[in-house]
Amino acid sequence: MKRLLVLLILLFLASPVLAGEELHLFNWNNYLSKEVVTSFEKSCNCKVVQDYYSGTEEMMAKLLAGASGYDLVIPTQNAVQALIQRGFLEKLDKGGLANIKNQDPGFLNRSYDPGNVYSLPYAYTTTLIGFNEQRLKEKGIEPTSWAVIFDPQVLEKIKGKVTVMDDADELFGAALKYLGYSVNDADEKHLLLAQQVIMKAKPYWAAFNSSSYIKELTVGNIWVAHGYSSDMVQARNDALAAKRDFTVHFILPKEGAVLALDNMVIPKEAKNKKLALQFIDFLMDGKNAAGLSNDVGAGNPNAAALPFINPELKQLTAIFPDQQALATLETLEATNAKVRRLKNKLWTEIKLK
Amino acid sequence: MQGKSWSKYLLSLPPMAYLLIFFAAPTLIMLFASFRYPGEYGGLAPWYVHENGRLTFDLTLENWQRLLGTDIYLRLFVKSIGYAVTATLVCMIMGYPLALMIARSSRKSRDLLLLLVILPFWSNFLVRIYAWMIIFSPVGALTRMLNGVLDLFGAGPVTLMYSPTAMLVCLVYVHLPFMVLPLYANLEKHDLDLLDAAQDLGAGKWRRFWLITWPLSLSGVTAGSILVFIPVLGMFAIPDLLGGTDGIMIGNVIKQQFMESRDWPFGSVLSMVLTVTAVAVVLLGSRLGQRR
Amino acid sequence: MQRRNVLLWISAALVYLFLYLPLVLVVVFSFNDSRLNAEWVGFTWKWYGKLFHNQEMLTAAMNSLIIASVSVVVATVLGTLAGLAMEQSRQRLLQMLVLAPIAMPEILMGVSLLVLFIMVNMTLGLLSIILAHITFCIGFVALAVQARISSMDPGLVEAARDLGASPWRCFREITLPLLMPGILAGALMAFTLSIDDFVITFFTAGVGSSTLPLQIYSMVKLAVTPEVNAVSTLLMLLTLVVITVASRLSPAVFRGE
Repeated sequence: MKRLLVLLILLFLASPVLAGEELHLFNWNNYLSKEVVTSFEKSCNCKVVQDYYSGTEEMMAKLLAGASGYDLVIPTQNAVQALIQRGFLEKLDKGGLANIKNQDPGFLNRSYDPGNVYSLPYAYTTTLIGFNEQRLKEKGIEPTSWAVIFDPQVLEKIKGKVTVMDDADELFGAALKYLGYSVNDADEKHLLLAQQVIMKAKPYWAAFNSSSYIKELTVGNIWVAHGYSSDMVQARNDALAAKRDFTVHFILPKEGAVLALDNMVIPKEAKNKKLALQFIDFLMDGKNAAGLSNDVGAGNPNAAALPFINPELKQLTAIFPDQQALATLETLEATNAKVRRLKNKLWTEIKLK
Repeated sequence: MQGKSWSKYLLSLPPMAYLLIFFAAPTLIMLFASFRYPGEYGGLAPWYVHENGRLTFDLTLENWQRLLGTDIYLRLFVKSIGYAVTATLVCMIMGYPLALMIARSSRKSRDLLLLLVILPFWSNFLVRIYAWMIIFSPVGALTRMLNGVLDLFGAGPVTLMYSPTAMLVCLVYVHLPFMVLPLYANLEKHDLDLLDAAQDLGAGKWRRFWLITWPLSLSGVTAGSILVFIPVLGMFAIPDLLGGTDGIMIGNVIKQQFMESRDWPFGSVLSMVLTVTAVAVVLLGSRLGQRR
Repeated sequence: MQRRNVLLWISAALVYLFLYLPLVLVVVFSFNDSRLNAEWVGFTWKWYGKLFHNQEMLTAAMNSLIIASVSVVVATVLGTLAGLAMEQSRQRLLQMLVLAPIAMPEILMGVSLLVLFIMVNMTLGLLSIILAHITFCIGFVALAVQARISSMDPGLVEAARDLGASPWRCFREITLPLLMPGILAGALMAFTLSIDDFVITFFTAGVGSSTLPLQIYSMVKLAVTPEVNAVSTLLMLLTLVVITVASRLSPAVFRGE
């Protein structure tokens, strides 16, 4: 009994002491520069409290069930679209956002939120191919297209050294692009074709892997990985730091790829909307926005941030695509229940066979 | 033994009340959800429509029909049960000697030995699995050693990473304490005089084990097997991380319904079927165990 | 007898080896001077240093410990009652209620509890996580306790009753001590489950109540660093110390003597 009492006291002590205003942020881990947070906390005399999610779908499941209390959320564009449709988001008061002029118009006014009524872009990544330069050269493979993960003739030479993302949307997106369709193609016939492409290539893959491919590439266990651009930057830097006898590089396949645009949104139920808006404006300041790219290798939709970004990173078209590359990139759209069911069935079949 | 009729409820009331509120109630909500339509962009669609003063219900059996319309879900269940049974058996084979050894060692050292069994599991799950991934890695010591030995016998190299073997090893690893602890709790109370008596009567060690220790430990074996079999059946993290291209269990598909395809009704259907299957298997198993 | 013991000891030792092989790697890599958990580079304390400056990680570890301790205490009491009740009389409903949460896929349990908490307008936080953890821990305790009593000699209790002991005294002085190894086994399992749960915790956690597993899983997008190994090592040590001290202070409670 005494022990229980002590624990209960501890429980109360541990609950956060409310001092000043708090901004509750729901975000990916390490997706915000620490210095930026500190300087914001100083300027507003408030505290930024972050909770993290490990996948868009987890965050969505939680919000859709009705969880509230977050003042600011950083979801990817298709999640934004779904959240708008479900009426979860607050319209952004543009009057309070002086730094909105810094945003690159190329990333504004997209189909998921025309006119950016509810969301403003925060960062972006592409889904591409990371590879071990030396090992592929030895095998005489020049990766330029999705063929390196889908064509059995190419895969024959690197069997068991390839991983693809464990994500139906991403993998179907890549296969659809390989076939020359849009990543959002929901035509059952085209999806079936994509399924066939995936099935034919599957025996040559080592695994579906969305979590540890950075490490596998860096260690040299895996030679080709389908994954996010920011992760590939990480893998490349890690391999350099570990002084491997190989280098990790990455390319945007010529057929085009998926572009993921992360956004800042305010839920309708947010308690501290004013502070959230203030933080959004703060993050859109060029210097503050640049921190993220430099820290995690994400692309930046903020034009004013470019002068502050590491020039070596900036010249990589896979991270900062030029106009020509940008034209081949597509964002995933939110899909309706029927398409999701179809994709799920096809995906389960792929996994089971 | 008077007062048993009321003490029966006195004992069972608190846990029953708790589980009714925090388990049965939410489960019924989800059971109901399995008859609803999924929301267009996730979650659930409204189950009734109030239009022109008329109330129409929007419920369906479609989610349940979908389960029966194809054999993939059946095959998934069979595959998952296969993994779960294998993992349970391996856990039993590995856990039994360990539990027996702890139960037979001196009173002083028992606590320590028991603590040593559970200690590794207070580190994080993901960290432990990552450690196994280092062990299984093609450049890791274990794989190289194994392939070195295989090479001596003229056999080709094998990959451990991303294989059903790797998956099974981790399934066993993660669930082993759940076999050892109830087994120990059972074995510890066995009357050693019985064994001595049997020895005096000339029974050999294996005979003593099969005639005395094993039958007496059956309730522990049952409890341990339940605690391993059921969680393994619904597992999704290990197949995701280590299973390679064929690593899929029913748990993964259930997770997909709540996550990627945001199809809660079908997720509920699969979950209900899984729960009922698991409970049925367990009740059947314990019935058989009791009969012996 | 002797030869069999040798065989038993060898096989038990091998199982311990199996249990500790990955653990050794976890601990060793927490001192490794490389961001990658891949090969040994050199010795360093830096991950521990970093950890002590990582307020979020420390708070999360604290939350995990609080949640695990409170839910284990409550679940152990409720689970022991359930185990006793199940053994005394065949109560179908109770048996189902105890087994089903173990069998329920954790993701469904997480989502359904979240829906329930939202329905009754409860603020998500430490309390909601604790309530959820108790729910999935009860069954593990109940089964361990049941396994212990199922063939316990009922004659002992009856003899005590015949000698005029009150039911409460019988329970405290005979049943409870005899049950202790089962209760302890159940409590240990419950603690292990609670401290490591991710899925159910994710759904029932509110703002600012992150636990260690939530913190660690969220790092997956950016590769898990050895800092996580460090925090795992420390958590393990801390739990070990707490349990050892507690068992020294009150050996009777822990050993059932």
